[in-house]
Amino acid sequence: MTDTATTGDRLKRFLPPKRASLAAAIIGGAAATMAMAVGAGGIWASFAGIIALASVASGYLLGHQDGTSSKAVRMRMFRVADELAQYRAFTRLLRDQGERITETTGNAATVIVTGLRDMDANLVQLQALMGTLPEDQSAALTSLVNAIGAPVVGMLGQLQFQDVTQQQIAFLSRLSRIVDQHMIDLAREMGDRRSMDRVGNFKDMFNKALDDCVMSSQRDDHHVAAGLDLHESNGPKIELF
Amino acid sequence: MASTILLVDDSATILMSMEAILHKAGFTVAKASSGEEAVTKLQGGLKPNLIITDIHMPGISGIDLIRKVRVMSGFQFIPILVVTTESQQAKRDEARAAKATGWLVKPVQPDDLLKVVKQILPNG
Repeated sequence: MTDTATTGDRLKRFLPPKRASLAAAIIGGAAATMAMAVGAGGIWASFAGIIALASVASGYLLGHQDGTSSKAVRMRMFRVADELAQYRAFTRLLRDQGERITETTGNAATVIVTGLRDMDANLVQLQALMGTLPEDQSAALTSLVNAIGAPVVGMLGQLQFQDVTQQQIAFLSRLSRIVDQHMIDLAREMGDRRSMDRVGNFKDMFNKALDDCVMSSQRDDHHVAAGLDLHESNGPKIELF
Repeated sequence: MASTILLVDDSATILMSMEAILHKAGFTVAKASSGEEAVTKLQGGLKPNLIITDIHMPGISGIDLIRKVRVMSGFQFIPILVVTTESQQAKRDEARAAKATGWLVKPVQPDDLLKVVKQILPNG
């Protein structure tokens, strides 16, 4: 029994108190049983019994591996939470880049529209001045001025790309924020196993973002990415009700 | 006398480019960068012959703007065109229910825009 008590003491050094006392109880109980079986038959028999008990303790110590791996798992969860924080920094970077693209294309488009309008206004003035020239000279110039001015309206129309791009980037930014929030939730849950199941399903959140798609191309991309084959009718590009 | 068109869009690029296109076609253009600004201008005495509005704008959305305009005295029957990147049928139906006159999906070719505008305002 003395040996058993010593083993129990040793276990207490390695195991949490509750687990150590349980292990000691197992070993103690087994030793008592062994002692009763062997009786006072000899110290060797008792020693053999202790060896057998040690194997029982070893079995429990293997069970103790659960405790050790919990700690390792916790460490890994913290590591994953740390990784998530880094991914969040990455999504933030993507959003910042998107905002810069919107800003720079917006500025560029404004400059181009202004330039085209000024150019068009100057061409109108030039056309008025040409009316004062002799007819043979004005005819050739008029045709040239008209040729220069002809693409202006089309170019002004093309500048709608900036608004379309801006909305596409805004949509990506919204998606990125969803991912971001999901990572925050996941990181929070890393330290609270009890609420692990309460984290939102990313696929559901991703599909919910479909509501924010405003362009048919965005919805098509979303459907492809989500593995959906649902397609809706978008109607004509121009429709008078 | 040239017809007046009120353009409502939160995108400065769209306002400027559409203004230039419509102005070049002979229309007088008034601009508002939000639904709120459009309502203020209408309440302040602006009497456009046509309103062209975007849908997705901060504050009052294009659909809400249509609803507001439709209950304003003197604007119950003003034609209102929606020009938007939105192509969803549900939104389109919402605009129709709000009594929008038509729906154009961006990017709109200037020729297409002018064709529709001239269809609505045949006298220019």
